[in-house]
Amino acid sequence: MLIWPLVSLLFAMLLTVWYLSFTATRLDRLHHRVETTWANLDAALQQRAGIALEIARSGVLDPASSVILSTAAHSALVALPESRSDAEEDLSEIITSMVNIEVLGSDLRLKAFELTENLNEVRDRVRIAISFHVDAVNSTRAQRARGLIKFFRLAGRAPDPVRFPFEEIAV
Amino acid sequence: MGKKLKIGMVSPYGWDLPGGVQIHIRDLAEFFMAKGHEVSVLTPAIEDELLPSWVQSSGRPLAIPYNGAVARVSFGPVATMRVRKWISEGDFDLLHLHEPAIPSLSLLACWAAEGPMVGTFHATAPRQKAIFAVGPILEPAIEKLSARIAVSEMARETLTEHLATNAIVIPNGINHQFFKEAKANPEWMGSSIGFVGRFDEPRKGLNVLIEAVPEIVKANPDLRIIVAGPGESEDVLKGVEQSIRNRFVFLGRVSDEEKARLLKSIDLYVAPNTGGESFGVILAEAMAAGTAVAASDLPAFRAVLNDGKAGALFISEDVKDLARVVNNLLLNKELNLSLGKSGQEWSKRYDWENVAHQIENVYEMVTSTGEKVSLGSDLRGWMRSI
Repeated sequence: MLIWPLVSLLFAMLLTVWYLSFTATRLDRLHHRVETTWANLDAALQQRAGIALEIARSGVLDPASSVILSTAAHSALVALPESRSDAEEDLSEIITSMVNIEVLGSDLRLKAFELTENLNEVRDRVRIAISFHVDAVNSTRAQRARGLIKFFRLAGRAPDPVRFPFEEIAV
Repeated sequence: MGKKLKIGMVSPYGWDLPGGVQIHIRDLAEFFMAKGHEVSVLTPAIEDELLPSWVQSSGRPLAIPYNGAVARVSFGPVATMRVRKWISEGDFDLLHLHEPAIPSLSLLACWAAEGPMVGTFHATAPRQKAIFAVGPILEPAIEKLSARIAVSEMARETLTEHLATNAIVIPNGINHQFFKEAKANPEWMGSSIGFVGRFDEPRKGLNVLIEAVPEIVKANPDLRIIVAGPGESEDVLKGVEQSIRNRFVFLGRVSDEEKARLLKSIDLYVAPNTGGESFGVILAEAMAAGTAVAASDLPAFRAVLNDGKAGALFISEDVKDLARVVNNLLLNKELNLSLGKSGQEWSKRYDWENVAHQIENVYEMVTSTGEKVSLGSDLRGWMRSI
C-alpha cells in the first residue's frame, strides 16, 4: 500500500510549487509598485524643481534668494543619478528655510499668487509620493528578507529597492 | 589722500565665525578708521551685543547648502529691508562690497544701491554647472560696480570665467610689523613645524602631512608638529600610530597674538593644502615672522611665495616630496635662515600699508565725481525681461 504516501507527497509538492509561484508573483507585484511609486516621485520632484526655477526667475524674490533657489533647482534638474539624492535634499532644505523666513511665504503670495499655490501643491505631491515610495520599498524589502524567498532566489535579478536620504527630511 | 570718506563695507558671511573674508574686512576697516575715514560694516551676525560700534548686524545668518558647501549667509525680505535702511541712513561716499557674487548681503546691497561701488572678489572656484542659471541675475548687479578687485590672479580668473568681467588684482593684507616683532615662545622652539587652520577640512591637507611624518622623523628624531585652529583632533589622528600621535600638539583656536608667537617660534611653516585656495594669508604672515615656509605647489601658493623664491614648494598631495622638502629645510640651517629672510622681505608687499594704499587709490578714482551712494530704483524690472 504505497500509493497513499506517494499521493500525499505529490500533493505536498504541488502545494509547495503553487505557494512559491504565488510568493514570486506577489514579490514581482511589489517590485512593480516600487517602480511606479518612484516614477511618480521622480515626476513630482522634477515639477518641484521646475516651479522653484520659475519662482527664482520671476523677479518677485530678492536677488540673493533668486540665486540660491535657482542654483539648487538647477542642480536638482541636471543631477546625475548618483548625486540626485543630495541635490533634492539641498533643494528641500532651501525651500523649507525660505518658507520659514518668509521668502516663499505670505509676502510672495501677495505678489505671485499662482506660483505660490503651484509650489504648495507640488510640495504636497512630493510628500505623498515620498510616503508611497517609502512604503513600497519597505514592504518589498521585508518580503525579500524572508528565508524562503532568499533560499529559492525568488527575487531573481531585481535590484534591492532603496530609500534615498532625501526622503527622510521635511520637504 | 586728503579727503576723508564715509565708507560702507558689506560682509556676506556671518561675523561670529570669522573666516578669511571677515578678517580682511575687519583689518581693512580698522586701517581706514585709523587713517581718519569713517567706516560702517554691515554683516550677518548672531550676537548683536558683542559687535564693535562700527559693525551693524543684518540679523542671523542662515546656513544653507550652496555649490556643494555650507554657506552662512543672509537673504530674504528682512535682510533686504535692513540693507536698504543701512544704505539710506548711512550717507556713504562709497560702498565696498565683498563677494558680491555670493547670494548674500553684498549682492543685496549692490542691487539696492546707486553710486560709487567697489566690489572685492575673494573666492576661487572651479566652473560651476549652475552658473548659466544664475548669470542673468548676477550680471546686471555686478555691472553696477564702479570698480572690481580680485585678491589674487586665481580669484580674477574665476571671476572672468564665471561672469565674463574683469578685475584688477590687489592682494589680501597682513600686519607685517605685528608678525615681525612677535615674541617667540621657547615651548614651541626646536625641531618644530607649524600648521594653522581648520585642520579637519580635507582640503587643508593635514592628512598629507600626517602621512609624511614617519619619513620626516627618520631624519629629525625630535620633530614636533604644532597645530593651531578649530577642529576635532581625534578625527584626524584616527588610526595613526601612537609614536606619531605623540608628536602632535593641538592648541585649538588661538588669538592673533598667540598665532603670531607660534609663527615666530617654529622652525618651519608647512602648508600641505590640496586645493580651493585663492590666496594664502597665513603663508604671508609666516613669512613676515621671518619663518621659512614650505607649501604645496597650488597656483595661489606659488604666487604668494614668489614662484618658490620666497618659500619652498613641494608637489601637492605628494607625501614623499613633502617629506624631502621639509627634511631639507629642517636639517640645513643656513638654507632655512636665508629662505626665512627672503620671505620676510618679499612679504612686505602684503603689508596693509601697501595694500590699503592701493585700495584707497581705487576709492579715490570711483569717488572723483563727488556723487554719493543712494538707494537706486529697483532693478527687478531687469529680471522680468530675462
